[in-house]
Amino acid sequence: MPINQGLSHFSDHFLMVALLLYFLAVLAFAADFAFGRRATDATRSAEPAELVPAGVAAPAAGGAQAAGADGAAAGPPAATATSSPATAGAGTGGAGTGGAGTAGPTSGAPGRPGILGRRAGLPAGPWVRAGLGLVIIGLALHIVGVITRGLAVHRVPWGDMYEFVIAVSCVAVIFFVGLMIKYRPYYLGLFVMAPIVIIIGLAQTVIYTPAGPIAVALNSYWLAIHVTAITLASGTYVVAAVLAVVFLFADRHSRRVAAGLPVRNGEVFRLLPSPERIDQLAYRTVVFAFPLWTFGIMAGAIWADQAWGRYWGWDPTETWAFITWVVYACFLHARVTAGWRGRRAAYIQLAGFGCLLFNLLGVSIFVTGLHSYAGLN
Amino acid sequence: MTETSQMTSTSQAGPAGTSPPQPSGGGPGTGGQGTGRVSPFGAQGWLRWVWRQLTSMRTALILLFLLAVASVPGSLLPQQGIDPAAVQQYYTSHPALAPWLARLSLFNVFAAPWFAAIYLLLFLSLAGCVVPRTFRLARSARALPPPAPRHVARLPSSARQQTDRDPAAALDAAAAVLRQRKFRLRTGDGWLSAEKGYRREFGNLLFHLALLALLGAVALGGLFGYKANRLLVSGSSFANTVTALDTFRPGRLVSSSDLQPFSLTLNRFSASYVTSGTERGQPSAFNADVSYTAQPGAPVRHDVLRVNHPLAVDGAKVYLIGHGYAPVFKVTDGTGKVVFDQPVPFISVGNSGLTSEGVIKVPDAQPDQLGFAGVFLPTAVDVGGTLESAFPAPLLPRVSLVSYKGNLGMDSGPPQSVYQLNTAHLTQLPVPPRPLAPGQSIKLPGGAGTVTFTGYREWISLAITYDPGQLPALIAGAAALAGLLLSFFVRRRRMFVRAYPSPDGTTRVDVGGLARSDPAGGFDEEFAGLAEALRGAYAGTTVADDPQLTTTSPGERD
Repeated sequence: MPINQGLSHFSDHFLMVALLLYFLAVLAFAADFAFGRRATDATRSAEPAELVPAGVAAPAAGGAQAAGADGAAAGPPAATATSSPATAGAGTGGAGTGGAGTAGPTSGAPGRPGILGRRAGLPAGPWVRAGLGLVIIGLALHIVGVITRGLAVHRVPWGDMYEFVIAVSCVAVIFFVGLMIKYRPYYLGLFVMAPIVIIIGLAQTVIYTPAGPIAVALNSYWLAIHVTAITLASGTYVVAAVLAVVFLFADRHSRRVAAGLPVRNGEVFRLLPSPERIDQLAYRTVVFAFPLWTFGIMAGAIWADQAWGRYWGWDPTETWAFITWVVYACFLHARVTAGWRGRRAAYIQLAGFGCLLFNLLGVSIFVTGLHSYAGLN
Repeated sequence: MTETSQMTSTSQAGPAGTSPPQPSGGGPGTGGQGTGRVSPFGAQGWLRWVWRQLTSMRTALILLFLLAVASVPGSLLPQQGIDPAAVQQYYTSHPALAPWLARLSLFNVFAAPWFAAIYLLLFLSLAGCVVPRTFRLARSARALPPPAPRHVARLPSSARQQTDRDPAAALDAAAAVLRQRKFRLRTGDGWLSAEKGYRREFGNLLFHLALLALLGAVALGGLFGYKANRLLVSGSSFANTVTALDTFRPGRLVSSSDLQPFSLTLNRFSASYVTSGTERGQPSAFNADVSYTAQPGAPVRHDVLRVNHPLAVDGAKVYLIGHGYAPVFKVTDGTGKVVFDQPVPFISVGNSGLTSEGVIKVPDAQPDQLGFAGVFLPTAVDVGGTLESAFPAPLLPRVSLVSYKGNLGMDSGPPQSVYQLNTAHLTQLPVPPRPLAPGQSIKLPGGAGTVTFTGYREWISLAITYDPGQLPALIAGAAALAGLLLSFFVRRRRMFVRAYPSPDGTTRVDVGGLARSDPAGGFDEEFAGLAEALRGAYAGTTVADDPQLTTTSPGERD
């Protein structure tokens, strides 16, 4: 069937608008850091430690501990009391809310000072709501862009590198929105969406490939299975890598605070949850992605057996997929081994993401192998 | 070792591998094995120390890292097993460096002894860790959870509850709730302990044992499998024997009598190409119509070989991996005798028009041997005075030939490639360079004979593989994935309940919980839900099963 060029142009336009909306969302998330949320400091003291799924009722079960129960009881009123100035302050400017915000922790519940982060179910500030709204509209257009590209070329729309990068970024945004809905890590918006904007921007300018048919070797239903699994895993790994970076900064900050060293940008870090929480979210993200990646490699092996007559042949792309798998396996092991937890595990996770990127970019562009389908000439 | 109780217990106690492993089925009550101190002297002590170091998590992690690092050169340098021509190329472009790289097996990384050493050590380490734990898990299949600790309220997750029922009735109610949730129960005087999530360790072990099995499957294929290639011109056949194959790479334990005795004929091959747009000339489909017999005397079957659709015959698989043109030449020598009349496979030189090159050797020609170097152009067009092929399909096929006579050198010297002409003892004949259309001839000067381009056929190249490890590898892979999911998404946890009579006639119930493995967090929520369900049970009300509906987290835990 011929390529539907009109539809593929539609796809390009949708993606362009999605990029614009994502960019505006980044600005909104940045604005939230700049002026939006100081007033919510007061609620931190009543922060639950675990990643509590959103929608869960707040009070502690069974009045487990007297102190904890007190804190929980004192928390919500403080939150409601200070959240209205926040809304007002957002409109009038940041200066006025600063005082209210810093006053919050001292006048609020005594609680534990080390616990940073936001209560699940707490209403998002106006900037976060604006950013999230923009992301969701942008995501809808992003998805439409991916689907129209697929309809234009009559196959799954991840057959060349441009399509793959667009699809991976789409998965990353879907996963991010899912995280936002489930755990409400509002702080993540800026850190996830900014790289996404850069990735999509580069995809549309540097590696843009017009819609075209794919190589005969790719004409198999395994394209839908293998590449889809790899796409899903890669998109999730993007979010995990962002979390690892945020963790490393937050951890460094909290160490410096603990050691009494001077810190910079304290305001930004006060809006982040504890490093442990970020680390836990990163771990959960990898735990989601790793089986998908494993399945993707296995599906690729089955396909390789059908197409090339062997299920594993150390083709450069296969080798790097294996290296990536091994490094993420190292991360999972390190995370449960004393002496390797925390920073070291985060560095391993980032190394794994580096391998993934190298496989996508380095191997596709500089090394010739059986997977040379990037469509870049 | 995704998450190991042995590893975590040793890592909590000190440096990995120096403290006794704890039996995974036991708990605080049963204690460790009490290996005591190993004397640093004596072979046995050293061996035990080495073994413990090898099977420690830290060593496994380092080996895993080494495996990743060791794979890197295999992807960046050309590999003998994947692209031998690229290795040759590397030798010519880096004459000083290449022999050193070869000495380090860097052109054959994945078969290198040091690579094998890393993965064999890793798998030994894995086996040393996983196999004993498998036995322990098997032994603990019916083991009961440990008794409740004295002070349940000091456990990482705890709740204090009150009920009007007497202690025994409260414990019964708690037991009913936990049993309904598939906890394994143990009861005692005034206490109750429960454990759940054994499938985590099961999944963890399944994953690692499946990896061991995968290595075994790969080894099976390497020992008993084989790979072969064969070029087949349309209209001809071959039998799957060593002599009929162009290349044959057997596994270590394969002999020529192990080959599946099928034979295969290529009836027709067709390729279709994109005819317009930027992708013009790209192939869109290949179909090879073949007939085959599984063994001599067996019925003839038909099949269409395509890319991604191999032919399975008698356990072996036949793949379509390449195609090209074989122009047919008829050569009459100086004496008027037809000394050559057959298709000659030409090899594509790699451009999109499928321009192909090949040589024709006519050793039987008299008085002199004849040789020709030819170029086949499927769709010949004149581009500024030179002929090029504009499209891969044979729309306007032309052959241009350079003719030689003399000694082909086939009777002496090293064996020759059928795709190269040794022109050392040949003289080029002065023939005007005129491309031939099918049916056209060149009359060679000096009465050397005539060569006619009578037509063309298509050829395909086939890969024939047999790998008995394939199915075991698939099963092992599927088992690994299942084990991975179990070990990731099941949490092993214990609940303890103690009931005390209060002076005011009510009963105080302390509930404590402990997740033995919870790297992703989330037990606190489950505990809160369970505590709520227990409280509902004493009160006689039912609480929804889903802990998500009723739960919250009690507070910050580490």
